[in-house]
Formats: sequence, C-alpha cells, structure tokens
Amino acid sequence: MTPHVRALRMVNFRGYADETALFAPGLNIAVGENAQGKTNLLEAISFALTGSSPRTSTDAETVRWDEDFTRVEGRIALGSDDGERSVAVGYAPGQKKRLTVDGASAKSLADYAAGGAGARVVTFFPDDIRIVKGAPSDRREFLDTLLSSLRPSYARAVGEYAKAVQQRNQLLRRIRDGFSSGKTLETWDRKVVELGTRLLEGRAGAIPPLDENFKRSMRALYGPEKAAVGYSYSATPEDYSEALKNAHSADVERGTTSVGPHRDDFEVSLDGVDLNIYGSQGQQRLATLALKFAARDHVRSETGEDPILLMDDVMSELDERRRDYLAEYFLESAQAIVSTTNLEYFEEGVIGRARVIRIYGGTISDTTSGGAGESGVG
Amino acid sequence: MAAYARPVEKLITELSKLPSIGPRSAQRIAFHIIRGKTDDAFGLAEALREVKEKIKPCRRCFNLTEQDECGICRDPGRDASVICVVEDPYDIGPIERTAEYRGLYHVLGGALSPLDGVEPEDLRIAELVERVKNEGTKELVVATNPNTTGEATAMYISREVEDFPVRVTALASGLPVGGDLEYADEVTLGRAFAGRREI
Repeated sequence: MTPHVRALRMVNFRGYADETALFAPGLNIAVGENAQGKTNLLEAISFALTGSSPRTSTDAETVRWDEDFTRVEGRIALGSDDGERSVAVGYAPGQKKRLTVDGASAKSLADYAAGGAGARVVTFFPDDIRIVKGAPSDRREFLDTLLSSLRPSYARAVGEYAKAVQQRNQLLRRIRDGFSSGKTLETWDRKVVELGTRLLEGRAGAIPPLDENFKRSMRALYGPEKAAVGYSYSATPEDYSEALKNAHSADVERGTTSVGPHRDDFEVSLDGVDLNIYGSQGQQRLATLALKFAARDHVRSETGEDPILLMDDVMSELDERRRDYLAEYFLESAQAIVSTTNLEYFEEGVIGRARVIRIYGGTISDTTSGGAGESGVG
Repeated sequence: MAAYARPVEKLITELSKLPSIGPRSAQRIAFHIIRGKTDDAFGLAEALREVKEKIKPCRRCFNLTEQDECGICRDPGRDASVICVVEDPYDIGPIERTAEYRGLYHVLGGALSPLDGVEPEDLRIAELVERVKNEGTKELVVATNPNTTGEATAMYISREVEDFPVRVTALASGLPVGGDLEYADEVTLGRAFAGRREI
C-alpha cells in the first residue's frame, strides 16, 4: 500500500478555526454546499504535504481572518509496516515558514515538497483549466511544479535560473540606458544557458511520458480522437547559446531575455487542433483533467508510489458516463479526496465503498461514512 | 518631540546604520553603552577612529593592511606564482586557517551583479589582469562564492585572462567533512559526484 493521509488538523487555516478531518485510503468524498470550506480543506491537505498552497503564492492569504498564524498538521500512513509520519507546516506572516517531519525541521521547502513529507500530491482545482486555456506561463508552472515534486534539484535549478535571467535582464536595461558597457553580457549568457539547460533537460525527459499518459487519459475521458502534448522551444538546446547571442540587440532594446525555458510553451491538442485556441470549455476542462491524470501516472512511474489525488468539484459539468468513470478511477487510487456539492453525483454502490466527510460553515461534522468507512478499500 | 536627548537619538541613528542592526537593537546597544563604563565607550570610539585612520587596502592584493602592502604580500615564504581570488577581505581568514594554501590573494571587492549595479569596473578585475601580466602568475584559484553572482564573476575572470599563460582553477564544491551522505542536499551531492576523484 502506498502512502495516504490519515488525519489532518487545521488551525487558523482560511475559514477553519481548529478542525480535524479523518481520511481513509481509496475514495474520500468531501460534501457540502458552496462556500462552506471544501476547497479550503483540499488546499490545506496540499499545504501540509507540500509546504505551499496550490492556489496562491501569497501564504498570508491562508491565515484565518484576524489571526496571526496558521498551522496545518498531517498524519501520513506510510507503507504497510512503515508506520506513520506526522508532518506540520506553520506560517506566520513576516516569518519563515516552519516545516517539520516527525518534529524535526525539514531540510528545505524543495526537499519537503519533493517527497520529504512522505507523500506527493496531484491537485485539481476548477481554476486549473487555465493550464489549457490560459497563458504559456500557466503551462510552464504546471510542468515545473510536477518536475519539482519529483526532484528537489529541479526546483533549485528553477530558482537559480530565474535569478540569472533577472541579472541578465537588469544588465540589458543598464546597457540600453548607458549605465553599462555590456562587457559581461557574454558571461551572463553563459550562466543563463548553463542553468537553463538543466530546465530544458528536465522538461525534455518528462514530455514524452506525459504525452503518452495524456493520450491514454483522453481516450478514456473524451474519445478516440488523437490527443497530444508537444513541447515548443523558443530555442532548442542545440541552438540555445547561439539564439541568445543573436537576440542581443533586440534583448537590449526590450530589456528582457527573449529566448530560453522561461519563454517556452507546450501545446495541448486534439486531432491536431490546438485546444488553447480552438477548444470548447468542455474539451479544455477534460484535457486539464487528463493532464492531471497524466501527471499522476508520471509520478507513479518515477517514484513507484501513487500520489494522493486532491480533486475540487471535479464531478460537476460532466455527464453521467464520465462521472462513473471518474468514480471508479478514484476508488482504485491509493487515495483520492474529492469535493462535491452534490453527493448524488456518486452512485450508491460507490458511496458505500467511500468515506464521506460533511462540511458545513467551516466545521467538519463527525466523519460519517456511507458504509465501509475507515476500512475502505485497502 | 524626540523621546530622548539629542546625543542619545544621534547614537541610536548611527548604530541603526550598521548591517543587521534594526532600530530596536540600536536602542538596546545605545543604552548599554550609556549605562556601561566610560572607558569602554571611549575604547570603542578610539577603535573605530583607529581602524578608519590606519587601515587601508593593500596596494597589491587589496587585502586590509596598516602598511602599503599587507603581511601576506610581504611574506617572502609565500608562493607568488599562485593567486587566490576572493570577493571580500573576510574570505581570506577562513582560507588562511586551513594552512593548505601558501600563495597570494587578490580581493575583488564584491561580485558582478547587474541587479546591484556592480560592473567589472567596480571590482578590482583590471588590477588582477595587470598582476597576472606583470607577476608571471602561473595559477589563479578563483574562490568566489558558489552562487549565481560568484560563479558569473569566476566565468568573467577566466575570459579576461585567457590570453595569458595562466591556469585558472575553481575550488571544488562538495561534501562537508565529518558529515553524513544522507544529510547532503542533492545539489551539493550532485556536484561532489561531478568532481569525484581517484583514490
């Protein structure tokens, strides 16, 4: 059995004052009306397991109104005999985030997010549709987050690369405005290429398996049309140095670096049609979901463990056939925590095999189950 | 109206200009000085005056010294064919304490950083190139910090001296001695692998 969250305690997290929720392996359904705290619960699990929120880069937003800190504690059941691990993430605005694993400080946020906490997550929030529908930066963020969750060294390379590009951009502006002779431009080019190449290598390694997993997920979720994920380079690895050099005068004029992994994109297509431009809302939503499933398969093949699925309001806007498919998919997962406003989206047989968590007005009512409860489907 | 007499306010203001001293620490230090012995306070004032009056950069390597040339540059026992390039004078201390290095130094005065407006002209890079040319230097050991700006500076220096018959090396980065492999971060361990050697 792969890791799963057994319990989560949220203190001053968004709308929650101090609430604890218990989870089972397999499918967990968090049910409640709109704006009662379902999304916040899923966000809190991700916060506890990765050290940051998938919904915001401003940690202060997660602190409950009028409180000065937030703390989320998770208990993770590891493999069958490996016992349990307790992790906690504490944050007070203006202070360093505190990440602990079994009471000891985590080495770094990068290590914590890349399995250091004991389990990885793949999340789906309705707003994630921007991965398909939105800007290239949304797609890059999806890729970089996935790769960072697999290897902390990738997360560090992303940070270092951003710093080097920032330095180069500032240099370009200084050259443009006459504050610098530009003697060091070549040096910063080399530094940028050295770090950028690590990003390109990481992404190049992930795209073929993602493409394959995406094809499979789209066949199941959508239909027989040929789906594909293809990376598009602003400069290929072979031409990277040359392209950066050729861009010198244009880059100086604009004051920004125009080629490199921070300008790349990937295309999500169906029968050769770019879903970013031509996809319907429904196609874009299913493609987003298929990308998340592809990410899960990739994490599984890279780490040998199923990531925990955190799926917010994933059942709405889907027809019955697809809802049934998803319910089976979640039941067969090591652990899936799925929120919904409407329990009727799940058939009775499914509810009987799931744990049901009721949320009302920021409180989690005694976890009731439709049947199997904690014994679940282990 | 100020809460304290003007000389006290002035002392607090001056102290808060120091690095990593905020207004609260400045206030605490100021009152510590006021409460303390007069001799101690005058001793501090005298030490500050003396360091500003007497200490200057070595004309050869830009280490800090009371004389025209620093003790290391004047030491005939040092190997003058090797220069270790560091960002700041305080980087020399740790290297000297290893007792592994017997060459000379060159203090750059920082690292290239466009974000901070630091250009090659703001560092003693031209002076370094001049030394390599005139002193017949055989090896430059570039010991800038292992971060983005330090590494870019090292790259730039190696380019600047490429026309001279000088070998340019960088310090190895890797595992801390006495540490456990399991606690090393991936980047450090990765670099240690890249720089592995025969035993």
